[in-house]
Amino acid sequence: MSTFIITALNGVSYAFILFLLAAGFSLTFGVMGVINLAHGALYVLGAYFGLAVISQLDQFWLGVVIAALGTGLVGLGIYYFFLRHLYNKVPEQAVLTIGLSYAIANIILWVWGPFAKMGMTPSAFTGVVRIGTLAFPIYRLAIIGIGLLLLALLWWMQDKTRVGAIIRAGMDNKEMTRSLGINYGVVSTLVFLFGAALAGFAGVLGTPILGAYPSMGDALLLLTLMVVVVGGTGFIQGTMLGALIIGLLDTFGKAYVPQVALFTSYVIFIVVLLVRPSGLIGRKVF
Amino acid sequence: MATQMRPVDLLLGRLTRKAVAAPPVAAERRSAAALLKTWLPAIVILLLLLVLPTFVPSYIQSLVTKMMIFALFGVSMNILWGYGGIPTFGHAAFFGFGGYVCGILIIHGGISNFWVNLLLVMVFTALLAAGLGIPAFRVYGVGASDNPIYFLLVTLAFGELLVRVAISARWLTGGSTGLAGIPYPSLGIPGVTIDSYSFYFLVLGIVIVCLLVIYRIVNSHYGYALRGIHDNERRMQALGYNTWLFKYTSYIIAGLFGGVAGALFAYFGGVMVPGNMGMAMTDIVFLIVILGSASIYFGPVIGAVVVVGVDYLASVYMPDRWPLIMGAIIVVVIMVIPQGVGVMLLNLWRKVFHGSAA
Repeated sequence: MSTFIITALNGVSYAFILFLLAAGFSLTFGVMGVINLAHGALYVLGAYFGLAVISQLDQFWLGVVIAALGTGLVGLGIYYFFLRHLYNKVPEQAVLTIGLSYAIANIILWVWGPFAKMGMTPSAFTGVVRIGTLAFPIYRLAIIGIGLLLLALLWWMQDKTRVGAIIRAGMDNKEMTRSLGINYGVVSTLVFLFGAALAGFAGVLGTPILGAYPSMGDALLLLTLMVVVVGGTGFIQGTMLGALIIGLLDTFGKAYVPQVALFTSYVIFIVVLLVRPSGLIGRKVF
Repeated sequence: MATQMRPVDLLLGRLTRKAVAAPPVAAERRSAAALLKTWLPAIVILLLLLVLPTFVPSYIQSLVTKMMIFALFGVSMNILWGYGGIPTFGHAAFFGFGGYVCGILIIHGGISNFWVNLLLVMVFTALLAAGLGIPAFRVYGVGASDNPIYFLLVTLAFGELLVRVAISARWLTGGSTGLAGIPYPSLGIPGVTIDSYSFYFLVLGIVIVCLLVIYRIVNSHYGYALRGIHDNERRMQALGYNTWLFKYTSYIIAGLFGGVAGALFAYFGGVMVPGNMGMAMTDIVFLIVILGSASIYFGPVIGAVVVVGVDYLASVYMPDRWPLIMGAIIVVVIMVIPQGVGVMLLNLWRKVFHGSAA
């Protein structure tokens, strides 16, 4: 029973890391219809930015902010110079961003070396909480809390603010939104910047749990795709649902049926794509 | 009422001529001189390739072997992307799968005969493509009104799923370190043994046969139907074509030839790693196709020569920076020359020999 509770807690905290990772991708993919397969590489870049700042200045939260800003700027560059010109050319976007993700991974390898790094938890969240005989790291609880805050923020942004309304209008009909006098280009650029910044943000927060090494972007990208596609594109609730499904399934699978755990998430991914391509609670992107 | 067009009627147009109204290019009877003019570059290149191993050191010879294998890989992918307009992101799955089938048959199955092996590779990759094609084309949608982004994601997921299978089925595939120790093939002809010198000619022969077969396919009625689907799928449906069946069969054909390229690559390198089925390999073959021009039949051949050549130079001079160089090439190709080098070369050729770039 106690292992079950610990596994469940682990699964939920893993799900929230996945949510942080996928939220940015969900914004750019589901809302703008831009497929940024360099998202995983941006996460790793953010993790390394954060680690560099933290090891130099010993300021965890400053590291988080700088990493988010740094990856946001890199993402802005990717959007402004490349993806903006490839509107509606999805295969070209995919080829370009996969290429960029390998280039980014190579730059990380070049600058920081091939060895895996582990992040330190911030001092406020170090240690464990005890529930009876069970011990659980505070940092994982903090991740759940931060994830919930971000979920609330994005949900509020999506449903209650003017920016959210513009984004939703753009999803339905870009030309109509433009003709209403809204500068959709600026809005979409800012959304892309925000999405890339979220990748860096997730990178720093995830490092104490997942670690960081240059080539981890591929695996993370696939996890992101699974989360976004399973949960549903276009709604932040969908991303949360997908993250919970994939996170819990993966953690429980590894704990109880390790032989098949490697495939369970893929099988769910493919089944959902075949039965409901727009995800469990999503809408079709295009 | 329009009769339904079946791909097989169009592929075997000669046998079932009654099923087809009129060939798309009927009027023009080309003279021998005109044919020679069209095929002259191909013939010159073929002659050069035949005499090449006599004059160059063995590392160039092995480089050219690799180029030919990737040329076949690229051309097989171009059946889907260039002719059918189908953006598959899992074409490397067939390449890697073909290689693995080949290696497993040799190492675990004990089948050393090249021809038996090649036949089995073709059967198995065709079966895999037939199996994956049904679910994949369920999400493809119809025509330009539906964006094929979900098809792209499904095929990408299939490739990565196969990578994970290859990693975990260690007893069969050697796990993440790969299936090593694949020997050169034996042709079953007494007195002929294959070394790297004769393997070059074997690859040359197989690749040329495959390229001619694919050329015949994409320039048959079937190939024209595929181009029609690329341009306007709804109109093709209105004309009575079962477009799903065309897309599905083209997926199988492309997968089959991709598998042949993979099997040759397995012999060539002697090793198959799971990554050969994944995203990175798919991205490389997409780069080969786009760089070489998807709109020209021999485009991917040019793409393969450039990409494999740069890969070789990078491995000699900057072995650690190859992904960075590849990323830079991808950016330049997609942003600056999206029509590809092949179109530029073709225009140049026409300017020099025909006086106009039209």
